Amino acid sequence: MGNKHLNNKKVKINENACGCLIDDLIGENQDSDKNKNKELINNRLCGSHENDLEVYIDPEIEKVSYDFYMRKLTDGLPIIPPTKEKLLKFLNYTDYNSDDIITILPPKQGKATVEKIAINSIMAGCIPAFMPVIQHAVQALSQDQFNLPGVNATTHPVAICVILNGPISREIAVNSGVGCLGPGNIANATIGRALRLCLINIAGAVPGIGDHATMGSPAKYSFCFGEAENENPWKPLHVERGFNLENSTVTVMAAEAPHNVNDHRSKTAEDLLNTIVNTAAVAGCNNSHVPGEILVIMGPEHAQTVENDGWEKEDVKRYIHENTLVPVELADRGGRKLDEQWMVNGNVRITRSPEDVILVVAGGPGRHTMIAHGFGTSSQSVTLPLTLKDGTLLQSVQDYKKSKNY
Amino acid sequence: MKVKIVEKDILNPLAESKALKLEINPIPENINKISLFDNTKPNANEILNIIADNLNNVNFERVKKPAGAPATPKQLEKATQADLSILAIGDCGSCTTWVILDAIRLEKEKIPTISICSNKFTTFAHELARSNGMENLRIVEIEHPIAAQSREQVERKAEKILPKIKALLSLD
Repeated sequence: MGNKHLNNKKVKINENACGCLIDDLIGENQDSDKNKNKELINNRLCGSHENDLEVYIDPEIEKVSYDFYMRKLTDGLPIIPPTKEKLLKFLNYTDYNSDDIITILPPKQGKATVEKIAINSIMAGCIPAFMPVIQHAVQALSQDQFNLPGVNATTHPVAICVILNGPISREIAVNSGVGCLGPGNIANATIGRALRLCLINIAGAVPGIGDHATMGSPAKYSFCFGEAENENPWKPLHVERGFNLENSTVTVMAAEAPHNVNDHRSKTAEDLLNTIVNTAAVAGCNNSHVPGEILVIMGPEHAQTVENDGWEKEDVKRYIHENTLVPVELADRGGRKLDEQWMVNGNVRITRSPEDVILVVAGGPGRHTMIAHGFGTSSQSVTLPLTLKDGTLLQSVQDYKKSKNY
Repeated sequence: MKVKIVEKDILNPLAESKALKLEINPIPENINKISLFDNTKPNANEILNIIADNLNNVNFERVKKPAGAPATPKQLEKATQADLSILAIGDCGSCTTWVILDAIRLEKEKIPTISICSNKFTTFAHELARSNGMENLRIVEIEHPIAAQSREQVERKAEKILPKIKALLSLD
């Protein structure tokens, strides 16, 4: 359907002209018999066109969505039809050329050009200013330590969680507060969706073809939020990972859909952390037999309770690491045989070290924390700073426009 | 005046694949040693044992590797200390991925390989091998499921693939 109308288009000599010169049109009229055809005298419209005027309109959303859906190019939801006009707006927010390859994505070994990333972002409903985040997120998840070949193809329901830090997350108004993991914010809803569409259409992670998740997960539609740095009593994630507070970063982590930790009663850090630990210590996660990262998204009120007792971030991470234990008998039921190196007094620690506890603060009022187990030993999260091509750290998404001398 | 309403062109979201064409290594006539590359998935070891028990006059090097992640350089190096490597088992998405991708890494080190994948994942296995340039990678299909099966069930399924493996090795 997309190309059918192309065949019916007018004949063109080149992209910019129909081939008729104004002299030809005037000459044609001068030579004609005035008595024969009066209409022709006043007709200065191009004779090679089927029509005198062509009006270009946006493709119909329902029609294109249906066509793309039937061709397995979507996540099932309607998409915004990607057009050249929309693409050009997205290209304002990168200093790469549209055909530059950012990375190669498995399993299809698809070339993730800037243009293809932008097209999939348009489809997801992103606004152009989100482009820098998505481009860097694609780059981040193609790092070896992330193990995208495994993450894309696995039967496990692992999703890709995107965590944004720094001023750009506030500039593009990513939700880090109330409802940040739920509906209602365009950045949270569409950045994660754009990544998923990139994985489907660039990487070939089409469910049942290149993505073999037994059931998948709602988190695979979109799983993106900002850290509430102003509510965080400790260092935010990007500062912990060596960046300055004023740097903007994107972190990608292979994670399950989050699970809630409801604790309205604990008044001490230890009591509260024990609720978290006992929610996290479960047999059926990947981490129980191949320990790895766990994401802890602590609500601001919980973080305050813990901090009030004088606990530093490192203390919290160490406590969660040391106390989240699964008995060996229950832990050794996963896809890979439990290695003896993970056994400690008949138990398995589901993280390898305190560093595996990725602790961030986000959310609104209320006494909740969310945890999300990772993909186990097989994937490691990646944090990248948002930069120009030459490595200059971005202060604002508008820096791209400055770099193009707009 | 004729006015025509034209829908704007719709752009294609699909990416081109990186073109790559690699040849697999021939299986030598005389095989002295085979590395059995076990990804420690349930029953992978049992399948490899049944194969080993049925191949005469061959020595075996046993090597373990992760299921859903690449073999370490050390594990890969150990698996290359043979005339051929047999990898098991691809019976899920990530383990099939890394059976195939590690087989390709071995082929690049000039070691011929045979990868064993369950029939639910062989279409993907072939597609993955093709997109990584090795369309002809040797993949032997075993009946799914492999995990959570009795000893007898695994034996029956493994025995069914023995003729195919022997044929690849040019053994009777």
